[in-house]
Amino acid sequence: MSRRNVLAWIWALVVVLLLAHNATLWFWQRIVPDTDLLALLPVEERDPMRQFAFTRITDALQQRLVVLVGAAGWTRASRAADAYGAVLARHPEQFQVADSVTDQVQRDWLASFQTHRLTLLTPQDEAALRTQPKEYWVDLALNKLYSPFAGVSPGAWRDDPFGLFSAWVQARAQETPVRPRDGKLFVGDEQRRYVVLPLTLRAPAFSMSAQQAVPPLLEQAREAAKRAGPDVDLVTVGVVLHAAAASAQASREMSMIGIGSIVGIALLTWFAFRSLKPIAWIMLSIGIGCLGALSVSWLVFGRIHLLTLVFGATLIGVAQDYGIYFLCNWFAKDSQLDSWQLLRRLFPALLLAVVTTVIGYMALALTPFPGLRQMALFSAVGLVFAWLTVVVWFPVLVRFNALKEPLTACGYAAASARWPLLRFDRRTSLAAVLFLAFVVFGLSRLGVRDDIRSLQTPPKKLLDDQIQASKLLDAPAPAQFFIVRGATAEVVLEREELLKQRLDPLIEKNLIGGYQALSNWVPSSRTQAARRALVEEKLFSDDGALAALMVRLGENTRWVRTTRDRLLASPSPLKLDDFLKSPAGEPWRHLWLGSVEGQYASVVALRGLGAAGLPVLPPLAAGLDGVQWVDKVGEISSLLGRYRRYMGWVVLFSYGAVFGLLYPRYRGRSWRALAPAALASIATLALLGSAGQNLQLFHVLALMLLLGIGVDYGIFIQERAGRRDHAAWLAVSLSAMSTLLSFGLLSLSKTPALQAFGVTMLIGIAAVWLVAPCLGRDETEKE
Amino acid sequence: MKRTFLIVGLALISLPLLGAAPVAKIQAMLAKPKILCGRFDQTKQLAGIKKPLVSNGRFCAAADKGVLWRNLKPFPSTLRLTRDEIVQLQGERVTLHLDAKKEPAVRMIHSVLFASLTGDLGQIEKLFEIEGSASADRWSVALKARAPSLAKTIGNIALEGGAYVKQITLNDASGDRTTIVFSEIQVGDAAMTTEEAALF
Repeated sequence: MSRRNVLAWIWALVVVLLLAHNATLWFWQRIVPDTDLLALLPVEERDPMRQFAFTRITDALQQRLVVLVGAAGWTRASRAADAYGAVLARHPEQFQVADSVTDQVQRDWLASFQTHRLTLLTPQDEAALRTQPKEYWVDLALNKLYSPFAGVSPGAWRDDPFGLFSAWVQARAQETPVRPRDGKLFVGDEQRRYVVLPLTLRAPAFSMSAQQAVPPLLEQAREAAKRAGPDVDLVTVGVVLHAAAASAQASREMSMIGIGSIVGIALLTWFAFRSLKPIAWIMLSIGIGCLGALSVSWLVFGRIHLLTLVFGATLIGVAQDYGIYFLCNWFAKDSQLDSWQLLRRLFPALLLAVVTTVIGYMALALTPFPGLRQMALFSAVGLVFAWLTVVVWFPVLVRFNALKEPLTACGYAAASARWPLLRFDRRTSLAAVLFLAFVVFGLSRLGVRDDIRSLQTPPKKLLDDQIQASKLLDAPAPAQFFIVRGATAEVVLEREELLKQRLDPLIEKNLIGGYQALSNWVPSSRTQAARRALVEEKLFSDDGALAALMVRLGENTRWVRTTRDRLLASPSPLKLDDFLKSPAGEPWRHLWLGSVEGQYASVVALRGLGAAGLPVLPPLAAGLDGVQWVDKVGEISSLLGRYRRYMGWVVLFSYGAVFGLLYPRYRGRSWRALAPAALASIATLALLGSAGQNLQLFHVLALMLLLGIGVDYGIFIQERAGRRDHAAWLAVSLSAMSTLLSFGLLSLSKTPALQAFGVTMLIGIAAVWLVAPCLGRDETEKE
Repeated sequence: MKRTFLIVGLALISLPLLGAAPVAKIQAMLAKPKILCGRFDQTKQLAGIKKPLVSNGRFCAAADKGVLWRNLKPFPSTLRLTRDEIVQLQGERVTLHLDAKKEPAVRMIHSVLFASLTGDLGQIEKLFEIEGSASADRWSVALKARAPSLAKTIGNIALEGGAYVKQITLNDASGDRTTIVFSEIQVGDAAMTTEEAALF
């Protein structure tokens, strides 16, 4: 057995292993691709606490599903919600429905704080205690006493004569517009009343089982609710809905790109060669490429993201290049050359082509985005496997006389003879001037936009619901918040209080709606002690407000003593741990991050945060120990921006590196192989600019890949000394068409990042295809 | 939290009251004017305070505006309740301000209050069981909140009246007892003084 056959057999063994591994993955392990978009985002490596805080908050949100059932009147909304709940109650394996809000729950809630009423004050009252004279408090108490609406306070007058605790309860109540009503949760706006149904998913939101089971059930429940009245409407928000929509979309796109490319390539190959065998060979190389890509990616990452597969589907259009190149040259070769001799002749070009393309893909791996790294590895491995199949198996498979040169291919290739060549003549100069004008115009209009939204745009309905729900519920921003840390829980609370002093003025100015912080509920021990001292001095001392009140009410000093003793007999200070463990603390537990690496930390979340408030918040943390502003949205956007610039340089340097790779083989002609990709890139940017598009990271990444693939075409064209070579022209055309097809389909993606990538490749490859033949050497220059 | 406001709302509801077992009869008896003003005399007996707290003042209820409750003696203070806010003023100083945008209960209190002003018994009956009796020109009813927590906090409410509500008695669970007597009732546009109109 010859060495060549040994290689072929070894490759056969590898392929068998690949098949076995893939079979295990799909049929035995039943792997499911990731759908969590956050998995595509970079992990915060510098600061584990920031990452932990973010994960904590997203985890808290992830399993949650909030349904708002609305109608013009409460009764109908309530009835619709009952119908809705009844449907879900039949599926306890999917949903955990929150207990109804009983009176007992409310009473317990209040009672848990009432014992600590002395130290639970609003910042306004605390300030008033320091600044206002005792007459202020006497008036307040009298007003309360004489008011017919005595019930304004949650308890008897003598338990809260100055209304301090009721003001605190009031302030806490205003942290959310949701109110208990008839055992349900109520929220409303000017026109409509809504029942709030908080649900918890049992299966992980990103599991396929949840994504397949939950939306139909919700739809069923929605229909049941709608039967309660014609004006019933539903607002549903939940990570699972986004995940389900995203994975359904990704699956659709993956099959569209995959099937579209396969069919396209089969047809192209058929038209070119009029034979089934080449189709089978090309498909073989693509298939092995895809299997290899999946196996290796799984072995390296232990997971695979659905978007990787969507992007990976474009591999089909690229991986066929080598097979096509081999086959095209097979026709054009001298008949005495056998397939091994042919391979030997093509090998340098094939090697350069695969290396440059892999370089193009590897650029994606230079970014810190795990998703892009996966896509890079997947695509590069796929290419290498397809390439190895061509190099090792094609010479064995493609035998003498197996193919006759097909007429179509000849006819098409002959057309290349009429393709214009660039020379130093008037026509070229004119074209150059026009091109330059277009480039200047286009580039001058090219803006930039590094928006996190390029990573995902959910369906409009989901987005509308999201907006409406966060307006109704006044929910805090999930991706922007403060982290407060300290050596002990007490230090954390003290630092929170300092931060809150800076936040309060922003509420007055309407820059934020409010904030959620644990210290709202449990003041630091220091503050509790200070407040107690303050209250004792201003209200209960011998010449305090209570004594003055005694005179106005015609009571005696004994009355003062009894009342004071009653009020001051409050137990030990409120402790954070106790609060977190209590049912009252349950809704706020996610704000406490606990202890990470010897430090305690908490989150201060912001409500009603708009564009106006965003710029004023980061500076607030300045000068406050242990307080840090986190803006995940801004962070990702600035990361996208940073990498857009960085990758721009990488693209430029890559041109240099690829030039270095090409130089030993092509010498003075190297620029001719490189120029099509370069010109196409410039033209693409100019076209994007003219079309009013904004440049983002994904355009730049596509330019990198455009270099990798575009250079292949340049190489194929430059390769044969007998330039204007039919085989090269045919190979480039077939490759370009299939690549155009794959990326054209990718440009239809609803994921903006993939769409940007697809569009750039589509324009770029088309331009390379048009330009590359122009840079073939003129016949007259022939040696 | 909500309870807090139900209590306010409830107390306000009780003002120009209606609703009783013979609901239709009482409803027919009530004048239900667009604007209703008058004098109130209030006596409060609080647990922990020996002397009863006696006060008086004026009140106005206007269907298109809201309710104005002005305590005049022993000291002045004003409570104004509209669809969008509840404001309490002591002289120039605002001692309580609830915005409907932040506190949804404001709107609920307002709507319940106006249901009672306009004789919408349906609204009242949603929150209270109504028991009572009516003669030719007098009626009296006792209200009991349907929600147990509400009933527990506010206790019993009794109302008496004829064409208008004449007396309200509140007996709350902590032993506090409040009696409000209405007199000098005027109706129509002229009922409201210019000072009162300005306060709205």
